[in-house]
Amino acid sequence: MNASNPIPTDYETFREGVRAFLKDALTPELVRAGERTTSVFSDFEAGRKWQSILHAKGWGAPEWPMEHGGTGWDIQQHYIFLEECKLANAPNPVMMGVQMLGPMLIHFGTEAQKQKFLPGIISCDDVWCQGYSEPGSGSDLASLKTTAERDGDEYLVNGTKIWTSMAHHSNWIFCLVRTNKEVKPQAGISFLLIDMATPGITVAPFPSLDGEVEQCQVFFENVRVPVANLLGEENQGWTVAKYLLEFERGGQHFTIELKKQLSKLHRLMGSEINRAKGDPTYAYRVAETEIDIMALEQTELRIKGSLSAGDNPGALSSLVKVSGTELGQRCAELLIEAAGQSAIPWQSAVLAPEYTGDTAAPAECITTMAEYINSRATTIYGGTAEIQRGIIAKHVLGL
Amino acid sequence: MTEQMTEDQTLLKVTAERYLSDNYDFNDRRERVAIGTYSDPAQWQAFTDLGWLALPISEDLGGLGLGAREMAILAELCGQFLVTEPLIESMAVSHAILSNSPRAEALLMQVAEGTIIPVAAIDEAGEATHLSPTSQLTEDSGQWHLTGSKKWISAGASATHLTVLANSGAGLAWVLVPVDADGVTRDIYPTHDGRGGASFDFDISLDDAHIIATGEIAQDSLNAYRELAMVLSSAETLGATQAALDTTVDYTKQRIQFGQPLSSFQALQHRMSNMLIQTELTRSLVYAACDAADAGRTDFGRFARAAKVKAATVGRKVSQEAIQLHGGIATTDEYIVGHFFKRITALESWVCSKGEALQEFMALPTAQH
Repeated sequence: MNASNPIPTDYETFREGVRAFLKDALTPELVRAGERTTSVFSDFEAGRKWQSILHAKGWGAPEWPMEHGGTGWDIQQHYIFLEECKLANAPNPVMMGVQMLGPMLIHFGTEAQKQKFLPGIISCDDVWCQGYSEPGSGSDLASLKTTAERDGDEYLVNGTKIWTSMAHHSNWIFCLVRTNKEVKPQAGISFLLIDMATPGITVAPFPSLDGEVEQCQVFFENVRVPVANLLGEENQGWTVAKYLLEFERGGQHFTIELKKQLSKLHRLMGSEINRAKGDPTYAYRVAETEIDIMALEQTELRIKGSLSAGDNPGALSSLVKVSGTELGQRCAELLIEAAGQSAIPWQSAVLAPEYTGDTAAPAECITTMAEYINSRATTIYGGTAEIQRGIIAKHVLGL
Repeated sequence: MTEQMTEDQTLLKVTAERYLSDNYDFNDRRERVAIGTYSDPAQWQAFTDLGWLALPISEDLGGLGLGAREMAILAELCGQFLVTEPLIESMAVSHAILSNSPRAEALLMQVAEGTIIPVAAIDEAGEATHLSPTSQLTEDSGQWHLTGSKKWISAGASATHLTVLANSGAGLAWVLVPVDADGVTRDIYPTHDGRGGASFDFDISLDDAHIIATGEIAQDSLNAYRELAMVLSSAETLGATQAALDTTVDYTKQRIQFGQPLSSFQALQHRMSNMLIQTELTRSLVYAACDAADAGRTDFGRFARAAKVKAATVGRKVSQEAIQLHGGIATTDEYIVGHFFKRITALESWVCSKGEALQEFMALPTAQH
């Protein structure tokens, strides 16, 4: 397969179809939600609405097997879909359920679990959050201490989870819990699906550096969870989680977003609000970043080619994650330089999709500072850049 | 990671790699270069027999008609095995310059048979650029005369013929000059990359048969030569960069300090991970540039320059890191890794610098999706 050949015509027809749908389905408010997205999460209500619209179209979970609501698209079609959504400024759909939990449920779940949970995930009637990290367990996730003790047909869960994105909007949480303290850490972890309405659960949202609230800490005090909500075998949770982590790393196409940031940079450079005009090095730094984005795009295409050929990209998704997130940070830095002082005003209200009033920052720069701030988290979540480099060292270089 | 090659490309790579691995020994190379044999006639004959010189020549001119991707496969191996013979120079000249000569078929047959080793002579001292050479070609009733100087021509020591870029009455011109002709002075000097360079002075009369191209054709083939040479220098840099990384990984697994292998230290592991990440990103861009060339795409010029920028940047960083991670041994002449470093450094400024490539990249229009 030749990765750089122009794609055949039937993909172009597919692209036209996606464009036509997006033109119809995206309301001005949804587009504003897309434009004002400053992290992986769009405005919650907009993201939820968009997921339900996609579901109604039959595109709610493209990557799932068709019997569970997937579209049967190949890798290229999926890429085109994501690219067109980004170009049309669609908001990011509420995704923890579809992108993270769904593949796990389909892979490890019982028939009863699939029937019970998959429809609510794809329709977004249920909103899921991920309970992995704990205050004492970040990169060393296997050291987690939240316990689940068996008590008849139930587990009794005690402990706390943190960095639980969107927990304050969620009615379900999937959790890693300790079910055996006697064995090595990875071997004593189980995967539980927990109803957030269960007595004993408290959610404490807290603002991030950009002043917005996406993150929460979740407390569990004698929370009773039916054994039927165990995903996979007891003490098999680490295996389930590893599958999920790989999905989180490999399932992203960074260059779609990076190319959008790049065109923003080019637009800003040519506009009168560009504050970097007096900096002769600026255009060169943008051009070098553009070249690095080209290199990453071609690398993603190579990985896509090997996926199409049935290979497992394995540790190479770590390469893409490191490079993609660091390039995103570089773009955010260049944008903040071009915006200068005009990016510093902080008006939380203007980020809401329904807001149409005046802004203190120029319209092009209302998200710039928040994007820059939030870009710092990208090399931390989903396995830090250091963890990824460790994976490359171990699994690619054999060190 | 998959390189996405066709079966024929895989076969070319495997065959070439086997030949070089069996026959291109680093210590033999060191001894040979030390006595001023920069291009080994036996090696050149073998390259000829393997079809490498016919590879970039189109089929209607009697060659194998293969493309940039195949040339890049050989260039990468030249980097990996530190080949000092002017293979990438010859391939680029055959493909982009000699093919425009009215005598292309006869000339290229001699190249393919190994009797002509052509190298392009573009650079001059002083203010001259590739767009404004001071070397002068004049015509007087069917007789041509070339005067001027070319400086620091890589592999100039090994060339049998130069394609000299000159100014003529009708814009640029390419002139084929045998290096041993009367009216040509060649000053050969040893080089840090083992290739053997030379500077040339010309005051020579030539007949029509030596004029390869003038005017618009000369200008177009200059551009084609530079872009192909950027890709091949990037590919050779990539091969040397990967080899420097591989050598470093192997060495840090063997070398024991503080009672454990160097490779067990996280500070070094992460640096080697960075070397791998950047090398793979470079690989993607080099292959994409080849694909753009072979598909005749209009964005080839951007990709060629992007590959040059990326390869020069990454080659420098990775080969510097390779030396640092080895320690003292890498600073000795008898150890291979410093030779990758030196060849990569020489390639950085061959044809154009990273900065020139970046400026040219910025001047080219972006293809809109």
